[in-house]
Amino acid sequence: MSSEGSEISGACLCGAVTFAGRLTSEPVGACHCSQCRRWSGHFWAGAELRDPAIEGEPLRWFRSSEDAERGFCAACGSSLFWRETGSRRTVVSAGAITPPTGLRLEGHIYVADKGDYYDIADGLPQQAQSRRRVAPAAFAAPSG
Amino acid sequence: MTIRGDLDDIAACHCSQCRRWSGHVWAAVPVPDDRLEVEGAEHVRWFKSSDKAERGFCGTCGSSIFWRAFGRGETDVAVGCIEPPTGLRLQRHIWVGDKGDYYDIADGAPQEDRQ
Repeated sequence: MSSEGSEISGACLCGAVTFAGRLTSEPVGACHCSQCRRWSGHFWAGAELRDPAIEGEPLRWFRSSEDAERGFCAACGSSLFWRETGSRRTVVSAGAITPPTGLRLEGHIYVADKGDYYDIADGLPQQAQSRRRVAPAAFAAPSG
Repeated sequence: MTIRGDLDDIAACHCSQCRRWSGHVWAAVPVPDDRLEVEGAEHVRWFKSSDKAERGFCGTCGSSIFWRAFGRGETDVAVGCIEPPTGLRLQRHIWVGDKGDYYDIADGAPQEDRQ
């Protein structure tokens, strides 16, 4: 689960781009939107960090919509970061976080846009759309 | 890209390389090279990820699209990049022994520790 304030770190496949930072209170989520599916090759999962330290020359940002951009390593192609333009918060790939991650996936978003070749069967909460901060109670991190 | 003919053996790969590269889990289908046509190939960059294989991605947006073993005559193509409706079904999970610690696999598809 998203342990707000916990520090995590990680790297791309070739190791040239690294990141480190503290988790926000946003749930660790899997995104099934068509952009994330094309970009990751299946569907994407991420954890949100506040003001992460991101280093490495091969880092490139691709403006994927009017208000968001995606960061990847231009040396190995790892899909690493999503952020709203100008935000201090960055969602980092769960798969790139150095294990043991200490995290648990908490839900699925944009499932209305999911791929037609797989099922979501893990019993976690699903949201038809909605990326952030509009989470209904069902999607909020479990209390206690 | 254009793929001709029927596709089979759609697999989700949980190896640590695929997880770092895709950001979660990578799903792909093998396509014989003579049935795969890539447009915009000049944008594809190849990264040699092991002695045996390389990974192809879009140098503009970073999409994780291709994996191929040297000398095998086929390329694994990311299912997330295939235009819907795909008409495909995920058939198995591979390299489950190396899966991430933050999620469960619960869809009932066969799981294999390795390939």
